[in-house]
Amino acid sequence: MLRMPEFRVHRARSAPEAVELWHSLGGVEGRGKDAVWSAMYIAGGTDLLPNIKHRLFTPKHLISLDLPQPQIVDEGDFIRVDAGVKLQALADHPLIQATLPPLASAAGKVAGPQLRRMGTIGGNVLLDTRCLYYNQTESWRQALGYCLKKEGTWCHVVGGPKTCVAAQSSDCVPVLLALNARLRLTGPSGERELSLRELYRYNGFDHLTLTPGELLTAVRVPKPGPGFRGLYHKLRTRGSIDFPELSVAVTGAWEGDAPSTLEIVIGAINPQPKPVKGLEEWLGRPLTDEGIEAITALVHKATRPQGSIIGDPDWRRAMAGVFTRRALVELRAASA
Amino acid sequence: MKTLLPLRVNGETHELAVHQHWSLLEALRYELGLTGSKQGCDKGDCGACTVLRDGEPVLACCTLAAMCEGSEITTIEGVADKDGPHPIQRAFDVCGALQCGFCQPGMILSAKALLDRCPQPTDEQLREALGGNLCRCTGYTKIFEAVRLAAKGLDRQSPVRYGEPADGFLVLGARGRKADSISKATGEAIYTDDITLPRMAHGKILRSPHAHARIKAIRTERAEALPGVYAVLVGSELPTPYCVIPWTPDETALAIDKVRYIGDAVAAVAAVDEDTAIKALALIEVDYELLPAAVEPEDALKEGAPLIHETDWKGRPRQDNVCKEVALDFGDVDANLAASAAVVSGEWFYEGSTHAAIEPHCALATFNPDGQLTIWSATQVPHYLHRELSRVLDLPTSKIRVIQPVLGGAFGGKSEPFDLEFCSAALSRKAKRPVKILYTREEVFYSHRGRHPMLMKMTLGADADGALKAVDSDVLIDGGAYHSFGMVTTYYAGQLLTGPVDMASYRFKSKRVYTNKPCCGPKRGHGSVQPRFAFECGLDELAEKLHIDPIQIRRKNALQSGQRTVNGQLVPSTGLNACLDAVEQSSGWKHRHGKLPYGRGLGVACSMYISGTAYPIYPNEMPQSAVQVKADRSGRLTILCGASDIGQGSDGMLAYILAEETGILPDDIVVVSSDTDLTPVDLGAYSSRVTFMCGTAAQEAGRKLRQKLIGGVAGAWKLHEERIGVALGFLYDKEEPGRQISSKEAIWLAEAAYGPLGEVGAYRTRKLGGDYRGGSIGASPAYSTTAHVAEVSVDPETGQVKVEKVWAAHDCGRALNPQLVEGQIEGSVYMGLAEAIMEAHTFREGGLHLGPNLLDYRIPTSVETPDILTHIIETIDPGGPYGAKEAGEGPLHPIIPAIANAIFDAVGVRLRRIPFTPARVLAAIGQAEAARLASK
Repeated sequence: MLRMPEFRVHRARSAPEAVELWHSLGGVEGRGKDAVWSAMYIAGGTDLLPNIKHRLFTPKHLISLDLPQPQIVDEGDFIRVDAGVKLQALADHPLIQATLPPLASAAGKVAGPQLRRMGTIGGNVLLDTRCLYYNQTESWRQALGYCLKKEGTWCHVVGGPKTCVAAQSSDCVPVLLALNARLRLTGPSGERELSLRELYRYNGFDHLTLTPGELLTAVRVPKPGPGFRGLYHKLRTRGSIDFPELSVAVTGAWEGDAPSTLEIVIGAINPQPKPVKGLEEWLGRPLTDEGIEAITALVHKATRPQGSIIGDPDWRRAMAGVFTRRALVELRAASA
Repeated sequence: MKTLLPLRVNGETHELAVHQHWSLLEALRYELGLTGSKQGCDKGDCGACTVLRDGEPVLACCTLAAMCEGSEITTIEGVADKDGPHPIQRAFDVCGALQCGFCQPGMILSAKALLDRCPQPTDEQLREALGGNLCRCTGYTKIFEAVRLAAKGLDRQSPVRYGEPADGFLVLGARGRKADSISKATGEAIYTDDITLPRMAHGKILRSPHAHARIKAIRTERAEALPGVYAVLVGSELPTPYCVIPWTPDETALAIDKVRYIGDAVAAVAAVDEDTAIKALALIEVDYELLPAAVEPEDALKEGAPLIHETDWKGRPRQDNVCKEVALDFGDVDANLAASAAVVSGEWFYEGSTHAAIEPHCALATFNPDGQLTIWSATQVPHYLHRELSRVLDLPTSKIRVIQPVLGGAFGGKSEPFDLEFCSAALSRKAKRPVKILYTREEVFYSHRGRHPMLMKMTLGADADGALKAVDSDVLIDGGAYHSFGMVTTYYAGQLLTGPVDMASYRFKSKRVYTNKPCCGPKRGHGSVQPRFAFECGLDELAEKLHIDPIQIRRKNALQSGQRTVNGQLVPSTGLNACLDAVEQSSGWKHRHGKLPYGRGLGVACSMYISGTAYPIYPNEMPQSAVQVKADRSGRLTILCGASDIGQGSDGMLAYILAEETGILPDDIVVVSSDTDLTPVDLGAYSSRVTFMCGTAAQEAGRKLRQKLIGGVAGAWKLHEERIGVALGFLYDKEEPGRQISSKEAIWLAEAAYGPLGEVGAYRTRKLGGDYRGGSIGASPAYSTTAHVAEVSVDPETGQVKVEKVWAAHDCGRALNPQLVEGQIEGSVYMGLAEAIMEAHTFREGGLHLGPNLLDYRIPTSVETPDILTHIIETIDPGGPYGAKEAGEGPLHPIIPAIANAIFDAVGVRLRRIPFTPARVLAAIGQAEAARLASK
């Protein structure tokens, strides 16, 4: 059996206690690819434990987040989803299904039935970036000669020593970005809020802007206004288990066939999910077939998938266009 | 360090001492002995370890035991209660949903959680809920049936019915349960890794990180000095080369002077636990001198290519990397092609794929004080393992006992000896304690022996009315680093193509080449699935050119029962036309093929496969298969047979045949199989030989016993033996049917008359095949035939191919147990369509596997596996037991070309390379569109 290296498990009953524990257990030294983790947080463990089995992380301590029952709460302008909410619970929650259907859809498309009952929304937002050359066993990576993201000096995807293009592969993140979600964080100096749009950067071995040891406690999603429509499309080989090979989230406010706001976010392409810019031109008037084609072309142009995950990059790029077109046609028709 | 953990499992609280870094799976299996939760993939991809945590299905391998305090865990052992198995468990048994059974504890728990939250699930909900539990045997069809049956409500006390037998039979032809189903459904079946012995050590194998390198030195002192290490083993300690085919030994238990692929075994360690063994591996120092690698066969054939083996198995220097080459021709192919009205010529490529049985290989070896070795191994060929262990360990076979426990899937992937079997035995000898080695999933991929990649140039010619005049085939076979069954593969790549579609002339060349990759070998449909793909696609193109319906061209050329193929193989029975009729009708072919809207299509293909081969793997005059039967005064029979039940149900088959002959109820027949100390030799579960050969042996022994039961009763009743009839559970006077005696009492009478009751039966192969060198390879006493129609939808914007439905007709001769036959057909269709649309066992430039795990190597889930409608065609074979032929491999072949041909019907493109990935399909559609525009 692929075994885990030795570590100790600690339990934290509150976020501040967890943060304090993390620091007292040695936290982390270094950052990004050079990080040496003494302590790490664990919630569902569905991302972390396979990574530990692969010896991508060898922490001495895991801090189990044994926090009060996580909840989904209507806060008026926001819907708060506690970080510990399981993905299946998110997908099944009546409030989410009624007000944020694309988020329910995305959460319901994560991995397989068991992993959705183990993994949390917090873990899905903070998912480590993934790469065919990284998410492998120690012996495999040794045979490869390691990679830029872990223990090596060379990115085997782009063939260079500088840029790591391991892909942010969360299903929920593109939707949450399109919805302009905010994150509630607890750190050593207390709580703060961060726009999800400021969380990710284009660096596969250090793709999160968080301060080391900061703990995600909740995701707050602005409640959409009237005329809200949204969709999440996931490209994958199998109807279950698989991570996205590419994903497209489209949200907006519509009146009939005219969008007044429109957000398109492309995921599973590289370390940073891609909100598509320049959509203002099509707002405030009926979206024509020509308009849809023009947006599709824009998305295609803006999407540059890397070969860090499975699926031919050119084909995945073409699919970004196809999925966008289909989503727009469907959303426009939803007025009828 | 272990700490005390209170854990609630199956309603009881346990105080467990567990390591904090242990998964829940380790705690359940190793501390609580709840071995029903299975380890399949190591890391959350397969679902075999599914348990319920507070009623919700979770993966025990990715859950920390230390984080489960306060939760209520339910394992498969906790599903049954005092009233017996849960209705879902019983439904799995009744429906034949369990083959190897390894994935089923997890599957059943997922199903239970579904029905608990949603008592009447829709089809979509059902597929979705089981989407995280990979099954490799069943094609999910019977699993869906079982869950639907359980949802309907199943009386848990109802006896399992056997259905109605075929006309004139007591048992055969009835839908019967598999002998071991319920123990698999309840998690009680013991697989190799479920066995633990006192003082048992754990072994691990160090593997090469280089595709091709010379071993200059190995230093093991530091590993040996590590506390907890009992023994370290290197290749020079087991220098005798071996191979499953005894005259081509080119492999050693551990590499001695060279490594030949990334993953090749170099050294092995036995230690107090796996963690210590892993640490010890890291302390072994190996000095390598890197050699250039030849990863692709084209490179391996180049002038000056590095020699992967410098000498052949007789020690003679090699000049090149050709492992085996065969060229045979039958009739004047060139003249016939020249005279053909239509010719199709092309190059097809069949990608490699692997078996991916959910149970990883495992072996446990121990020596007793007399030096007697017992090894439990997840093997499908105990007899060959027995022989090769003797050779490599330098022990007489009389000192070795091989036992195959319940096996968690094989498909050809466990049909030869592996390094872990030799190493566990040698380490046990050295460490003087039992040693178990369990492969990681990555090691399973490296051990491979899967489908050979083949590059096939094929030309087919037919006359104007579609009569097939000539087939010319040239196949380049990528063998990987060792021989395996290579010689047989090379012959099979040509010899098995000559039916069920007849051809006037045929020529083939095939060449198997060594490459620096894991060794290929026999995967379900060994050697012949690949050329079948090329041939059936080519035939479809011929039909198109000649404006003949694709089913019609196959009918037109159908080989007839009793005919010889162009290469001289006698085919005693073939049901091709009946198979074609069945799928033509049920698929609505006549009004749908060629007439569906763009993006949707139907395709057909057919095939023929052997029911065992004429020759054993080592030449001898002894029977290929034998059984011993004994009758007990309790009324039970015991049958002993070396046959390997690998999930296909051969144990049940032996019981049915014995029941048929003796009238003893199948549930009163004990089957003891695959234990070399107890069971007479059968050569193993490969080449689809078991029903035909072991079945014949069981039939012979059963007939002898029946005669004694009749004799005993006739003597007691003072009647002629002809007057005594045998029914299920009793014997009777045919002229006075009310006069009956139970089978049990008949056994007493027979024992009184004849003494202790024991009978033997055997199967011997006649001389078969064409009268030329190699003419016996591929010669079989009987051939099955198959025809499939596949319906696909192709998304012309994404290139995604969805197999919507498959109609599968298979001629298995007499269907001894139709439920098990259907299971074999459904599983074959599933495995073939997986190769067609998604699986690819591929490598980086330097020979590194592109993803040796069950996340990167995708096998279909319940979500994308289509409905499979099976038709059993029974063309009674004159040689098989009651007319039976094979069902386990033939039905895999046609699904790949049927899908290719359906894609053509849907979108007008011919795909000549598997898998039909969306990117490839989309590119082909784009090219066709460009060509269409250019021609305007």
